[in-house]
Amino acid sequence: MLSRSAFTLWRMIHAVAMYVVVGLALWMIFVYVPSEKGQGLVQRIFYFHVSSTFTMSLAGLVAFVASIIYLWKKAPRWDNIAMSAVEIGTLFCALVLITGSIWARPIWGVWWTWDPPLTLTLVLWLIYVAYLMLRANVQDDTKRARFAAVLAIVGGVDIFLIYLSIRMWRTLHPKPIVIQEGGTTGLPPSMFWTLMVCFVAFLLLFFYLLRERVFLAQSRHDLEIIRQEIDDTLKG
Amino acid sequence: MHKDLNSFTALMSSSKIFIQQVLALLAKDLKTEWRTREIFTSMFVFAVLVVVVFNFAIGADPQVIRKVVSGVVWVALVFAMILGLQRAIQCESEEDCLHGVLLALHDRSALFVAKVIANVLYMLLVAVCVLFLFSIWFGIDLTSCFFALWIVLVLGILGFSFVGTLFSLIVLHTRTREIMLPLLFLPISVPLIIASVYATASLIEGKSLTDITDYLTLMGVFDVVFLVLGLLVFDFVVEE
Amino acid sequence: MKNFWYLFAAYTIVWSFIFAYIVNLTRKNNALREELHDLQLYLEKIVSKKEAPQ
Repeated sequence: MLSRSAFTLWRMIHAVAMYVVVGLALWMIFVYVPSEKGQGLVQRIFYFHVSSTFTMSLAGLVAFVASIIYLWKKAPRWDNIAMSAVEIGTLFCALVLITGSIWARPIWGVWWTWDPPLTLTLVLWLIYVAYLMLRANVQDDTKRARFAAVLAIVGGVDIFLIYLSIRMWRTLHPKPIVIQEGGTTGLPPSMFWTLMVCFVAFLLLFFYLLRERVFLAQSRHDLEIIRQEIDDTLKG
Repeated sequence: MHKDLNSFTALMSSSKIFIQQVLALLAKDLKTEWRTREIFTSMFVFAVLVVVVFNFAIGADPQVIRKVVSGVVWVALVFAMILGLQRAIQCESEEDCLHGVLLALHDRSALFVAKVIANVLYMLLVAVCVLFLFSIWFGIDLTSCFFALWIVLVLGILGFSFVGTLFSLIVLHTRTREIMLPLLFLPISVPLIIASVYATASLIEGKSLTDITDYLTLMGVFDVVFLVLGLLVFDFVVEE
Repeated sequence: MKNFWYLFAAYTIVWSFIFAYIVNLTRKNNALREELHDLQLYLEKIVSKKEAPQ
């Protein structure tokens, strides 16, 4: 295990890197990159919106892998990682849905459509929430971890089928009348690099949040252990 | 050669034991159900109520009704199944016989298979009754696509049963079962809901089986995936 | 400039959610770290007290 000082040093480096890159990203979004011709100013939501999509998917992947490792190795640390990843994933998924809605309103004229990516994100959010609610409703620690891991694995495998079925479903329905493509294909370089910097910023942010959340879970566990030790020492 | 023969006979005998245990568990569940008929009646009555309420909710326009028939049928079936699973789980937790059963089993996934088969049987029975009422109440002709409809029903009910049974055993240990089972079950079942509803709708419209092969494939893949997943993770779910 | 308020709303929401989560986490983490540290000291004290009479 890392010593206390090494941990705090890495934490500081991580935090500083994060603030710097986020600052750079914000500068690029609001000062550097030019406005998109068709959509104007509002299009800048795209940078954080897509980056959040990236983070929410990464969170799902981390939770899936961590859950498999937990069921294999039975070490609580992996359950903590899975849970933290899902929590953060729920946050970024909600952000995707909300920023997407806010972007859609001026551009498409509607707050929501049942397009494949939107529907898929909504169903993913429901699965994340189901995971968190399952954890909240199981009393026993080991059972909670195991059930949650099972759900994460089932959800992870299922997400492909969900994607396929929603795409199949959607090809039957007419698209909304006023839709202008967001234009992620063939991005001009300035937009592409702004997006890349945002990705890096969100990546750093995700791992920072993950680390903090896992530490919180681990500390709670350690607290229980110390309390138990104190009780034992006082009695014995 | 001798070793191969030995391992083959071992495999055969363990499969035989597996099938025997599945049948024994199934017989026990069905016998208990036959005495009270609680689960089946609640499922059937609920499905009927859903259909009746939908009738008021949708209105009298026959064009509209034709369009939503398939959706209504599957909503009624899915929610009836959730209700049935809740009842079954309640019985399990009240009697707490799960423990003993698991100890007696040679291979624990026999319990999963037995429960799934029981659920599928109840659901098929409910489906027969509901579809019969449907065709009378809404004047929908189901005889032309009868055989194809049953294929879609079986594929759908099978898939829902795999997911539902797995989650019902998880939900057994939670505090708020009534909301946890639908919350877990429904988002995960979205592919099957979409495929079942649209396959059935196409059949009712008059299309043939060959027209809905993509839906049937999706349903088939879903069923296989969740059968495998169910068997794989079942041990983790029922471990003490 | 016409859809400025949408842009503003989107970024404000993103910022608020993430900021609230970070603040929440950091506050809980610091409190826990302190409590762990205090309990660790307490444990050491009572263990040494137990061993002292011998």
